[in-house]
Amino acid sequence: MSDLDKAIAQLRACRPIPENQVKELCHKARELLLEEGNVVGVNAPVTICGDIHGQFHDLMELFRVGGDVPDTNYLFMGDFVDRGFYSLESFLLLLCLKVRYPDRITLIRGNHESRQITTVYGFYDECLRKYGSANVWRHCCEVFDYLALGALVTGASKNLESSETSYTDAGTQSSIEDQDIEIEILNSNSEVINRFPRSSRDSQLPPKSSPLSSPILDTPSRIGPVGTGATSSSGGSRSNDGGAVLCVHGGLSPLIDTIDKIRLLDRKQEVPHEGAMCDLLWSDPDEIDGWGLSPRGAGFLFGSDIVKCFNHKNDLSLIARAHQLVMEGFKEMFDNSIVTVWSAPNYCYRCGNVAAILELAEDGSNGGYIPRSNGDLGRKQEMERDLRKRDPPGRRYRVFEAAPQDSRGMPAKKPVADYFL
Amino acid sequence: MASANGSFNGPADTPLPVKDEATNSVTQAGFKITTQKLPILKAGPIEEMTDRLKITPPEMIFGDNCVRIEHPATGWSIDFNAFDALDRVDKTGDAMLKVSYSKEWQQNRQKQFEDIKEVVKPFDWSYSTDFKGTVTSPNGSTFEPSETLIPLALLKRPDPILFFDDVMLYEDELADNGIAMLSCKVRVMPARMLLLSRFFMRLDDVIFRIRDTRVFIEFETGEVIREYTSREEKYDVVKQKLAMTREDIPAIMRDANRLTQLIEISDGTLERMIVK
Repeated sequence: MSDLDKAIAQLRACRPIPENQVKELCHKARELLLEEGNVVGVNAPVTICGDIHGQFHDLMELFRVGGDVPDTNYLFMGDFVDRGFYSLESFLLLLCLKVRYPDRITLIRGNHESRQITTVYGFYDECLRKYGSANVWRHCCEVFDYLALGALVTGASKNLESSETSYTDAGTQSSIEDQDIEIEILNSNSEVINRFPRSSRDSQLPPKSSPLSSPILDTPSRIGPVGTGATSSSGGSRSNDGGAVLCVHGGLSPLIDTIDKIRLLDRKQEVPHEGAMCDLLWSDPDEIDGWGLSPRGAGFLFGSDIVKCFNHKNDLSLIARAHQLVMEGFKEMFDNSIVTVWSAPNYCYRCGNVAAILELAEDGSNGGYIPRSNGDLGRKQEMERDLRKRDPPGRRYRVFEAAPQDSRGMPAKKPVADYFL
Repeated sequence: MASANGSFNGPADTPLPVKDEATNSVTQAGFKITTQKLPILKAGPIEEMTDRLKITPPEMIFGDNCVRIEHPATGWSIDFNAFDALDRVDKTGDAMLKVSYSKEWQQNRQKQFEDIKEVVKPFDWSYSTDFKGTVTSPNGSTFEPSETLIPLALLKRPDPILFFDDVMLYEDELADNGIAMLSCKVRVMPARMLLLSRFFMRLDDVIFRIRDTRVFIEFETGEVIREYTSREEKYDVVKQKLAMTREDIPAIMRDANRLTQLIEISDGTLERMIVK
């Protein structure tokens, strides 16, 4: 077992690794991240995750639900640290996995991956408490400066493939129905909670029936993690390309109208208080027209038209972002052109929210040809041909709850009576 | 599941916790004290609340939580819940604070984006409230201004606590610029009870606010004393005071109890009524 594998095993047990190992790990990680562009190219299949916030045991639950690294290809959209009690173990484990399996895990920067924010919201104090000095915090912050600002997922399938398509004859009615599933929501036991076919979305509300009474659920409902072997056999001439998905922590910036402009930023610095890099990590979508200013006096809000215009101009079918707590774990907005993914269940150990991860399946319809991994080549030409709104890829959301309370030595839920005045 | 604006949310069908399990209650000397604790609201109820409030609710909104004191014999009650508290937050934007780096941010923005001017839905996003509880009093009796203080000596006695709860009503991280929270504690002893509803807000490098409402009831006499105090101090002033100590400053800056010792009361009211 290599030192790295030993470190991974130790961190998986939620035990910090010695300071000298952290230093070495951070050094390796920096070398690796330095090679990545500001926008990392990622091929589907991939599982996209939102904020973690130091909730180590819930990160373990995420890996249980979504599949382990390197079996599952992961993309984490930042905010690994702060708020939770185990920022250190969570971030170092992700970093170890990155160094060990660089092509199977992508980490991009969140607004909490910053010196200033971590000194206020917990990570700095945690490092100080666990090591007695700020050295480890300093090493980690240097890694933060090298994290990519975004990722571009290509090669995602337009339609979700249920496991049953692999043994159902491709010509039958049911398999066409299966192939037309746009959104599928699974619980942590891989049981389908809900499914939405692509065609019905715009025409009418999906039936609000209980999962058990839904007729589509007569089909086998246990489905393994995507990307575990099945390739599509979608026949015919219909394209099964789900378009490209841009992943960023916060959102868009008025300074950025093309993905290439993100690529030109100088990212290797502390997150600035203003400018494009700041906006990508901080901004939020809102039900407004165009751009707006946050009432807080700093930060942009962007409306549906901004997202649709950006997606069209950059030939994107979807933007995936994190940054905002959503009670159901994910929230699609603006006619499915942007989604917020939140992966910290029972946030801050008291919100009672569920978490979600978003799985995009691989589009195997082009005979296994994978577009080049780090860029845009060939995407532009396709845009010329198709000026309509791109259909987003099939989305499989796995929704999960917090890891059991007793596994983490958390304070009791029942408040202790005190003689407050 | 698709809402009118075309947004699509997660499984609204997940079963809600049974409300009975989330409710705790005790009746002592004719007063019934009830608390309810549930997870934060889901997208649907948040949309409804937004429509009714006309402002965006805090990020963590425990809209189903409440603390209620009732006197069934007279029908009197006082309620503490998130909606009523948020309804008292300034909705005009007149009392709006700005984050510490706002000036720097604005100056830079104005150079580049003169056309982006509109502040989206201005309101007091620090969710500062002077909520003192919602009173229902069928016989028309009301709180009157009073000089009678809450008898601290009686509350300092180690009487057995028959019922205790601590209920969060809302919390917001102010987009990583600090914290705003409203919570409600209650303890019931054999002869009297105390409720403390506390709004605590820290806007990093700008300001601290602590607004407390205490409701004291002496069961024997039916005397209800309600005290409201407001504390406010600049961040730098508090930081200066803490600089002399050797304590864990970030921890104290999260601890409203400790901060009350450092920040003077700037405003307040004292009221009294008899519920019998």
